[in-house]
Amino acid sequence: MKELRDLARQLLTDGTVEVVVGWQSSARGARPIFVDKPEEADLLIFDTRCVHNLATYLNPRRKQVTDLGKLALVVKGCDAKAVAGLLREAQLTRDRVVLIGVRCGGVVEEFDAPVPPEISAETIMPRCYGCDNREPHLVDHLLGDALPEPPAPLLSIEKRIEALEAATPEQRWEYWTAQFAKCVRCYACRQVCPLCVCERCVADKSQPQWIETASHTRGNLSWNVTRALHLAGRCVGCGECERFCPAGIPLTLLNRKLQQVVEERYEYRVSDDPEVAAPIGEFRLDDQQEFIK
Amino acid sequence: MNIYQPQLATVTDIIEETVDTRTFRLEFQDAAYREAFAFHAGQFGEYSVFGAGESTFCIASPPTRSGYLECCVRAVGKLTAALSDINVGDTMGFRGPYGNWFPVDDWKDRNVIFIAGGIGLAPVRCVIWNVLDRRDEFRDVTIVYGARSIGDLVYKRELLEWQGRDDVRLVKTVDPGGQVGKWDAEVGGQGDQVVGWGGKAGEWDGEVGYVPTIVEQAELSADNAVVVICGPPIVIKLTLPILEKLGFADEAIFTTLENRMKCGVGKCGRCNIGPVYVCKDGPVFTAAQLNALPQEF
Amino acid sequence: MTDVLFLSREQLAALVADLVAADTIVIGPARAGGPAIPGLEDRQQGVAKGAFGTLEYREVRSADELELGPGMPRLSLKQFFLPQNEKLFSWQQKGIAVEVQAVPTAFAPRVILGGKPCDVAALGIVDKVMNWDYQDELWNARRAATTIFALSCGVEDQHCFCTSVGVAPDSTKSADGLFTAVDGGFLVETTTDLGREFVDKHRARFAEPPGGAVEAGTAFRAAALAKVRENFSFNTERVHDWVENHFEDPFWATLGVRCNGCGACTMVCPTCHCFDIVDEEEGVGCGSRRRCWDTCQASKFTAHASGHNPRGDQIARYRQRVNHKFAIYPTKFGEVLCTGCGRCVRTCQMGQNIGEILVAIDEYAQKDTQ
Repeated sequence: MKELRDLARQLLTDGTVEVVVGWQSSARGARPIFVDKPEEADLLIFDTRCVHNLATYLNPRRKQVTDLGKLALVVKGCDAKAVAGLLREAQLTRDRVVLIGVRCGGVVEEFDAPVPPEISAETIMPRCYGCDNREPHLVDHLLGDALPEPPAPLLSIEKRIEALEAATPEQRWEYWTAQFAKCVRCYACRQVCPLCVCERCVADKSQPQWIETASHTRGNLSWNVTRALHLAGRCVGCGECERFCPAGIPLTLLNRKLQQVVEERYEYRVSDDPEVAAPIGEFRLDDQQEFIK
Repeated sequence: MNIYQPQLATVTDIIEETVDTRTFRLEFQDAAYREAFAFHAGQFGEYSVFGAGESTFCIASPPTRSGYLECCVRAVGKLTAALSDINVGDTMGFRGPYGNWFPVDDWKDRNVIFIAGGIGLAPVRCVIWNVLDRRDEFRDVTIVYGARSIGDLVYKRELLEWQGRDDVRLVKTVDPGGQVGKWDAEVGGQGDQVVGWGGKAGEWDGEVGYVPTIVEQAELSADNAVVVICGPPIVIKLTLPILEKLGFADEAIFTTLENRMKCGVGKCGRCNIGPVYVCKDGPVFTAAQLNALPQEF
Repeated sequence: MTDVLFLSREQLAALVADLVAADTIVIGPARAGGPAIPGLEDRQQGVAKGAFGTLEYREVRSADELELGPGMPRLSLKQFFLPQNEKLFSWQQKGIAVEVQAVPTAFAPRVILGGKPCDVAALGIVDKVMNWDYQDELWNARRAATTIFALSCGVEDQHCFCTSVGVAPDSTKSADGLFTAVDGGFLVETTTDLGREFVDKHRARFAEPPGGAVEAGTAFRAAALAKVRENFSFNTERVHDWVENHFEDPFWATLGVRCNGCGACTMVCPTCHCFDIVDEEEGVGCGSRRRCWDTCQASKFTAHASGHNPRGDQIARYRQRVNHKFAIYPTKFGEVLCTGCGRCVRTCQMGQNIGEILVAIDEYAQKDTQ
């Protein structure tokens, strides 16, 4: 995308930022790149392979990134929502990052793709379907042409949640315990999540040991459910946790379900406007309280 | 029984060294194991508090005294906090002895200098007693020990003992400002009557200054001498250049490192510094060996 | 030179049935199982697509479940020798006394049919650290209880590099024998006494190879060897020397900055063996000590209780991974801690590519000497 490269080159040349974080092409399709020299701006791309949520690099605990100085970040709509989340929770100050928004029509999950694959019902990342932020708002620059809405995937996340809800509690329990038995507690889900930025994660606390660290099903259930609850009302639905999980656990089902609950109860949907307070950080007088008996 | 299963040991004495540091004396429950147990000065063990976990501590008692072993522990984490709830008579676990040791035999007929800071005296104390229990084999013995304040000095009763010996030169110090407080402690173990210190009031009769400064001023001679040094990283970092200036060779300076450990037997992969595993190739290293390692500790 | 025998698909089914009937655990690559929910295909995004598909190594009860062909199981064979979580012993408080219950250090016999040569070769490499002065009885006992037949591999994709690290698509390192797929079944060779004993015990299932089978098998193996050699390659000695002597090189920063520290690479790796040990209370005054997989990519891995962390950022941690596998382990044990399976490349969702890294290091190493 020429306008992206030109902009990046400009920002680096005039010293507005020390590094531009975007995507490059590689043997594995697209992957993140940290461009700190203007001549390397030519490596930047944006296409359907750019599935990664680069907002994860804004985690204040990532010393190796904060050491680089002020950065520019290329963001899709979902990524911008994550940045807004960090701003909302005071994990980031707006002046630390220049946001380069790109209009997005969805991304695909294809590996080793040397050329950007076409979007179709077969290839689209399920999480893209129904996206309400294809033109990110929280940006300093907005690039790219408007792209068509992502098509419905063969099996959408909503349909999978419906299938789960149609099952009995026993079936659901069996399903989830089988999934969590696979978990190896690599914490990839947490590491990649742009909103998992706690200085000391609850799973790492040992006095007391809130969450068992051994990777048996009970401990894994404890971890995964706790993480999902900690993300309720905060998760932007980028789906990176599930994409990263080496055990193939369908984590987006948990997060999307909780998102639905939050929407129902608090009429709140995560957006990329950091001024709109999230239910976790705010109490409104008209919040539903019928559960208090 | 696999190598990760500990031997059971009874806590027979607990001494409150400072407000957050305790010395534990352990005796193995299995008589045959107790009889056969032997180790060298500098080795460590993995001590268990069942339910809390395992931690690495050096064996702080000297190998010349059999029947028990001691460790000195400061409460900083989960296991060491759990140790605050351990009482005399409780059961702990022990795996070891692991690691390499101070080559005490190589120091015969040489002057031995011990430098320690804070709780770093614990591993050094083991080798101090090892040397003192074989006193005739060595020439001059000098101990330079300091802590932030009087309250932070460990092994106070033994400092008094060393001070009282005429075949040991003890230079004790506290950081500037740390000399306020009672010295001249009367200490007893929990098994006795008095816990903690704070007997007779007495003014501090030692030096006042940071350990590296006091080392520089102590008129130490590098001639035919070896140095054993242990303490917080900052103390070691600032003292080593002073020793170098005084003419001590890197090969004659010994220290003991710590790193986060779990298995203690070289398998869990976490304690390495470059190609060196602290649990197997250490924890005792010379300054020469440390200089050759990647600076990742 | 061992005799080459033939095991037809029908006889394989009978063999597995024999083993299962004799209470021998049979493990091999199979479709991922698990409970299904109506309307919910077990659709695994990400990792499940691409070279992993939905294969995993697991216990099978019949040969129908075995998938002895292309495709790489999600996790390696490591889980059968160093389980992802394993009890080391348990204890029971009795007043102020404690009773410790040991865990068994003998295991029921198992047979692995169709292990990928890279996964199988990894076991012999890890044996070395597990027997470094102290014998890890749990690992050793599982190894002793297992007979392993590798399956000649046709090379997964461009990310395989087994030949660069001393393995091959038909390697029998750490295997007791090798299966090679041909029409109607498998050629079978044995390479150890254990393998020979196994075949002797079930001799009736094995036959002389049909005409042309041996030639077909040889051709398959030669083609696979040629194919993997077309992928990238590097020299492990040059890499070792460069890594050992360039601890502070700015190259490491370019790698560490992209890495999330998620540890997925270490979990799927057949040779990564780092573990954590934790105590867990399971009731009042009783519990067990367990070990579970850990990763050098986590910041907690080397964090001291005092707060000091010798590997405090991802640059240091990522360097440790490359260092451990390609410099430290070879220095200490004479073997590279990697078998070129390529899982780490396929798993890493941020695009970290060990092949790319090793080729780059080899190039730097060669420039150094010019």
